[in-house]
Amino acid sequence: MYAIEINNVSFEYIQGAPVIENISFIIPKKGTTILIGPNGSGKTTLLKIMIGLLEPTSGIIHIHGKKPKEMRKSIGYVPQKLYFDKTFPITVMEFLQLADTTPKDEILDILESVGAKDLVDSRIGELSEGQLQRTLIARSLLGKPKILFLDEPVSGIDIGGEQNFYELIKSIQGDHDVTVVMVSHEVNVVSQIADKVICINKEMLCSGEPSTTLLPEVIRQLYGKNVSLYEHRCK
Amino acid sequence: MLELLQLEFMQRALIAGIFLAPLLALLGSFVTLRKMSFFADGIAHASLLGVAVSILVGVAPFGGALVIGVFFGVLIFLLERYTSIASDAVIGIIFTTGLALGIILISLQPGYQPDLISFLFGNILAITWSNVWIISVLSVGILSTITLMFKKFTLTSLSEELAWTSGIPTTYVNLLFYVLLSVAVVLGVKLLGIVLVSALLITPPVTAKLITSSFRSYVVCSVAFSLIAFIGGLIVSYYFDLPSGASIVVSASGVFMLVLIYTKMFNDA
Repeated sequence: MYAIEINNVSFEYIQGAPVIENISFIIPKKGTTILIGPNGSGKTTLLKIMIGLLEPTSGIIHIHGKKPKEMRKSIGYVPQKLYFDKTFPITVMEFLQLADTTPKDEILDILESVGAKDLVDSRIGELSEGQLQRTLIARSLLGKPKILFLDEPVSGIDIGGEQNFYELIKSIQGDHDVTVVMVSHEVNVVSQIADKVICINKEMLCSGEPSTTLLPEVIRQLYGKNVSLYEHRCK
Repeated sequence: MLELLQLEFMQRALIAGIFLAPLLALLGSFVTLRKMSFFADGIAHASLLGVAVSILVGVAPFGGALVIGVFFGVLIFLLERYTSIASDAVIGIIFTTGLALGIILISLQPGYQPDLISFLFGNILAITWSNVWIISVLSVGILSTITLMFKKFTLTSLSEELAWTSGIPTTYVNLLFYVLLSVAVVLGVKLLGIVLVSALLITPPVTAKLITSSFRSYVVCSVAFSLIAFIGGLIVSYYFDLPSGASIVVSASGVFMLVLIYTKMFNDA
């Protein structure tokens, strides 16, 4: 059985204007899968359909063989942006205790595993983008999810922070034995952590291992520009 | 001070207020998080229709206001959720429609309407023992529900997406919150009046937000400030022969100003 099976899924917010059309793919249980595509290609919509926040107009989705709504407690979700009143007085620990009944010492262990233990008494409105993302990842790991969904998790984080973040995702995937599904509009993220890449631009364009899938013509088709990929190795 | 407690109308007002002030502050803690201040104002004003219908058919206005308040609360919820109309526009339409229908119906009834005036501006003299019972029972019911659902209400208020992915049935939780808030607002109308009720819902939580850094302390301080404003306002209104609802609201604003000045001085020091 696969972690996620998507069959001919389409979605439209307004009738007659599909955001995604007839998309089908599978995501294996092991590893990190990245959905890439330009802005407005329907990636976030597809992710929201996978976690059950949106109902597809047509098509079938199975998460570990079940409907997304039945699997809500087995998934972790990190949104692209958490919109909330920044002046609101709630600490990181209080925020994490809202999610479920995980004991305080386990929450502290999870915070430590994402490098955010020192933030435990901070107000979430005072956190930087990177700190907030770590807190949201810690939250998504409570309840031991089978699949972790991340929606553009590095938006708003600087380049150094991005690299640390990808390393964190890699370590989480290994330590917590969790399937990672990440949405990104940036191609460079693929070479950093992806085991599988799925390209969409309203329709499904490619799916497979990054080295054999992200060919120049695919990227041109995806982004509408001539783009070449070079792997950089920095000391 | 003791003479004040010996007066029966003051006893009724105190009992009603000691239930209502914490209830409004607790709900207000979520209302400010959800930016729903206008909702409370809308429900309060639209409940005038219930008062008017009750006056016309000759039943107690309090019951009519409760029914209409909850009806409009649910209607706002449904319109917000299932149409693309902006929330403030929905509330604006409901608010003015309820108020206008209330005015039209009251205009059909000749003569002075004391019930109408007491609902508009609040009147502790108009609180009967049966009102006290209704307020006490409903307040305890709502407070118990909030206590049971505290984490769900907080997470849903903070982020509906996160609440949904945590397995919380957000539609039902939101609907329940709207109903509880509508009931509490109409209960508060009896004490403070349609025009002023939202003050006790908003001012104590906003005051608490100035000096707290955790959610627990925020909720505790909101309730404490609300009780201080209520008791202080009631005492001032008695000794200076002032309208009780307005005195309670000014008392809440006074506490807010003092805390604001304190935090500014403390931060600047």
